[in-house]
Amino acid sequence: MIKIAAIADVHFSEDSRGRFRAHWSGLHEVADILLIGGDLTTHGAANQAAVLAQELEVVKIPIIAVLGNHDYHAGQEDKVRSELERKGIAVLEGEHAIFTVNGKTVGIAGTKGFGGGFAGACGSAFGEPEMKSFIYYTEQLAMQLEESLRVMQADYRIALLHYSPVKETLAGERLEIYPFLGSYLLAEAIDTAGADLVVHGHAHHGAEKGRTARGIPVRNVALPLLGCAYALYNLEKFNQVSHQPSNPAIIYPID
Amino acid sequence: MNSDYQYLVGELQHVLATDQRVNMLDIKVIVRNGKIYLIGQVPTEQRRNAVEGVVLELLPGAEVRNELTVLEIKTPRQPENIHD
Repeated sequence: MIKIAAIADVHFSEDSRGRFRAHWSGLHEVADILLIGGDLTTHGAANQAAVLAQELEVVKIPIIAVLGNHDYHAGQEDKVRSELERKGIAVLEGEHAIFTVNGKTVGIAGTKGFGGGFAGACGSAFGEPEMKSFIYYTEQLAMQLEESLRVMQADYRIALLHYSPVKETLAGERLEIYPFLGSYLLAEAIDTAGADLVVHGHAHHGAEKGRTARGIPVRNVALPLLGCAYALYNLEKFNQVSHQPSNPAIIYPID
Repeated sequence: MNSDYQYLVGELQHVLATDQRVNMLDIKVIVRNGKIYLIGQVPTEQRRNAVEGVVLELLPGAEVRNELTVLEIKTPRQPENIHD
């Protein structure tokens, strides 16, 4: 069994300092890894990411994050990523990371993802260049996610996103904005390559639990939805073939 | 600025999303009987005040009902067991 802590949409700014420190300082006692599903900052300023990175210094377990739409707003997403990475936080976009936990390998494939909507009520790459770009972007990120999952050999396989892959975890949001909250293409990528758990954020007023079409559990861990500093998931596989890491992108062994 | 209801709500939501003192996309704005209601959750008291301030900058003298609440971060729940 591996113990996963997950949160998203913390939206850090300069006045967020100290809000989470007490909650996060004991994480190593209840979890093996911490996943952060995007919208790390309020508007994507590097100094906001620096405040978050400093707040996360109290966390003694591996931290893996993806960026969210807010993290791109200021055009400093590379700097946002750098501020976190220089404090040892893995930030994934179309990449995966593999960790060893209690003798088992845990792989996380991460992407922000994007929108477009869900089967039956979704956009298509048709019409104006801007519309085609919108859908092509999601298609590209979904393809990268599928490839990351496909090559990732690990005992436990997790997909970490910001945008949602399913409609279920959007229940409670207004239907009119579903196309801006996620895309079925992300679920299709995950179902094609396989995973044990999907974690995402973005939908502050959605629902926590859902499943992909092939039954992979999906969890929406947006902070406004959870109302607490993280959610905890004990992930266990009874039908398991042991995987030793093979040509992974990154390996961080846990001491 | 067009004061028709839907345009006013749209403009308010636009400024609340793009003003760097707020940058929030999920604040509910209702205009009713000449009053502007702001509903939703914000992370801090400073942000709550900033939302009202941004609205009043756009609409000086408007009657604002600030019903935003500050998100209180609770203790995490017990773990959920997920297995194949």
